[in-house]
Amino acid sequence: MVAQPLAEKPRRGAGLLAVWRSAPSSFRIGAILLGIHILLAVLGPFIALYPQQQMMAGRPIQGPDLLHWFGTDQLGRDVFSRTLHGGWIVMVLSISGTLLGVAVGSVIGLACGYVRGWVDEVVMRIVEAILSIPFLVLALLAVSMAGPELAGSPVLVVTAVAVIYAPRIARMARAAALDIVTRDYVTVARLRGEPTLSVVRREMLPNAMGVLLVEFAVRAGYAPILIGTLGFLGFGMRPPTPEWGLMISEYRNLLTVQPWAVFGPGLMLSTLVIGLNFFTEGLSRVLGRSPMRGAA
Amino acid sequence: MIDSVLSVRGLTLDYRTPGGTQRAVNDVSLEVRRGEVLGVVGESGSGKSTLAYQMLGYRQPNARLAGGSVMFHGTDIASLDRTGLQELRGNRISFVPQNPTTALNPAMTVGDQIAEVLRKHKRMGSAAIETRFAGLMEQVGLGQIPGVADRYPHRLSGGQQQRIAIAMALACDPELVILDEPTTGLDVTVQQQVIELLKSLRAARGVSMVYVTHDLPLLRQIADRLAVMYRGELVEVGDAEQVFTRPHHAYAKALLAAVPQFQAAPEATTTAAPGAPLLEASDLSIAYGRRRGFLGIGRSEGARVVPGVSLAIGRDETLALIGESGSGKSTIARALCGLVPPAAGKIRYRGEALAGRLEDRAADERREIQYVFQNPDASLNPRMRVAEILARPLDVFFGEKGRAVRPKVEQALADVHLNLAYLDRFPHELSGGERQRVAIARALIAEPSLLLCDEVLSALDVSVQARVLDLLRELRARTGVSMLFISHDLGVVRSLADRVGVLYRGELVEVGPTEQIYTAPQHPYTQRLLAAAIGTHGAPVAPEPEPQAILRREARG
Repeated sequence: MVAQPLAEKPRRGAGLLAVWRSAPSSFRIGAILLGIHILLAVLGPFIALYPQQQMMAGRPIQGPDLLHWFGTDQLGRDVFSRTLHGGWIVMVLSISGTLLGVAVGSVIGLACGYVRGWVDEVVMRIVEAILSIPFLVLALLAVSMAGPELAGSPVLVVTAVAVIYAPRIARMARAAALDIVTRDYVTVARLRGEPTLSVVRREMLPNAMGVLLVEFAVRAGYAPILIGTLGFLGFGMRPPTPEWGLMISEYRNLLTVQPWAVFGPGLMLSTLVIGLNFFTEGLSRVLGRSPMRGAA
Repeated sequence: MIDSVLSVRGLTLDYRTPGGTQRAVNDVSLEVRRGEVLGVVGESGSGKSTLAYQMLGYRQPNARLAGGSVMFHGTDIASLDRTGLQELRGNRISFVPQNPTTALNPAMTVGDQIAEVLRKHKRMGSAAIETRFAGLMEQVGLGQIPGVADRYPHRLSGGQQQRIAIAMALACDPELVILDEPTTGLDVTVQQQVIELLKSLRAARGVSMVYVTHDLPLLRQIADRLAVMYRGELVEVGDAEQVFTRPHHAYAKALLAAVPQFQAAPEATTTAAPGAPLLEASDLSIAYGRRRGFLGIGRSEGARVVPGVSLAIGRDETLALIGESGSGKSTIARALCGLVPPAAGKIRYRGEALAGRLEDRAADERREIQYVFQNPDASLNPRMRVAEILARPLDVFFGEKGRAVRPKVEQALADVHLNLAYLDRFPHELSGGERQRVAIARALIAEPSLLLCDEVLSALDVSVQARVLDLLRELRARTGVSMLFISHDLGVVRSLADRVGVLYRGELVEVGPTEQIYTAPQHPYTQRLLAAAIGTHGAPVAPEPEPQAILRREARG
């Protein structure tokens, strides 16, 4: 290609628009679904017709009508209002759990990939040992180890998600690190005698960001299911929190008489997960095509 | 009318990029005559490879033909369809790639790979292929290697692989061979052999060749005519001797002027002041892959790359290490800066012992020995702005950070003659030469007393090389920094170094003042290396100085 004089940087907005235009359709569908969910999570509590705990908002166990889109439960609470109230809880829990997992996992993985040697060996064998435990068993283990006083606390749910994700992220981050370590700029930092954490944070993390971002998005897409599963099994949030998984669990005995109480939260949960997955799949393709360089 | 094999008329090619359309080749017209070697030169990005590939009817997926034609015996290659091209490629027009290591199929024996070409295009039977193969091997000088047909590419050296690639290109007796930087990855002695081979093939078979390269001295040996590309345009085309000695276009003149001449440094270099050397290495022995093992299990001595080298670098002195790839040049530099702890031997710095392991060295010792890497693409963190890159050493070595370092960083950038606006740019927004300047600035901001330059010019274009070389000279004069300058370019070394060390298979076979090494080499290997280098530089130094003198005069004019 012709060597051109340094072109003016395209404006941020114009670049984003171009990305949107050229993005695969899965990315756009995912982004729209995700956008709707974020909007609902933020505005939900304000646009809901009833407070989430108000009993006798309608007749108990009533099918959908104009005021009660998903009908009501045994206590006469409006299921749609509860679902709206629950949106931000699911989102905040998923994102903070995933974020914690990615943060811990990436530091472990990048540091191991940088120092290598026996530290790397030992840590990675431990990570593999943890990975061999089925994730649900691991989550239950974490919950039961925390003891009864923490039961139902959002901190515990976030920790459980992080504990499940951290080892998986660590392996990914280490693989990325093994590639980055071979670059000369890491050698230069070593020659300066920078401490390990400084090298990891300044030199490696920004360059592993593309990989980690995709990994974060993929994991965040499954976190609502994980949290829902924990809630359904009674190890996550406690009633009367309107967490979707917990609601599905609470209302499952109404399935024959008032299926909308289960379908409603189920619909929300599945569209959120589908949206997140489309979005991340598209995102990785967008990033793969034009690796994020420089300004990010 | 001159008998032409291929004629390019008004060829214009565009690349579609995320940033819009870029014109890679702009209205180029030229002819390739029967039996001639047409050299195509230009810097990277000048469109010379794009042009050469189009002569094969190949375009990158994102390239678009905007106009013009490539006529080969009355057919327009540029608009030929897939089957038409298959008929032509490898058969009547063939190609020799830059890097045979990646171009040859590693999972097929070389015999099978050449047989495939013959079977496909000439529909030969096994017996005919065997005779043809033997003939080809004889032509490319591989006839003596027993069982070469049954070898996989990795069992051949780089030069042999390139010979195989040339044999493959010649297999069907093509009328035109396109060579894309065929010797760039090869050592200078091997390079010379390949050039000799191409010369003899041209003489024996009258094949036309298009030889794409950025190496001008090399082209001087082989090209009949020369085409100079600049930013997608053909700025000059003509008889090789004429272009070399009397270029018309300003860019062609500049390009010729930039070629490091095979001559002594203009100023009389002072030999290093006697006295204690700055750095002294004795019996340095370096091995890769050495493992201590656990309780004696898994212990391994590793591959010994450098068996035992002693060298000294004086204050204000530039010592150059030359040798082929794999001779251990970089390994020695890496040991001196502590990246590869030596297996045995001592390093003394300012008269005191220097620890082998980087972790055992004091901060000041790390600061005083700075390393500049070959490829600035890899040595600058792509996610850091130039200002941050330059500020890191200040933070680590002097504990200075924040706003206070700004003047120092600006000064460092000004020292390497870069615009201060670059401070807020990312490395990928800079050109290769500018990036290497940033890398040099980063090394110098630590105020080192020894600079290890590991092939710092080889990733750069010729004209850029010359400017970076000037910069190094200037900085050396101003800061008085000592240098260990590693290079395989003997022309550059001669114009920069005070003393030269010649490495051969990990051993320092000869060390001495630059002029002594160049004019009166003692060791047979040095003699061979110099002979090959002089060969590729087109004109011998001592017996026949005229062409060089003319070249220089013309280049200046």
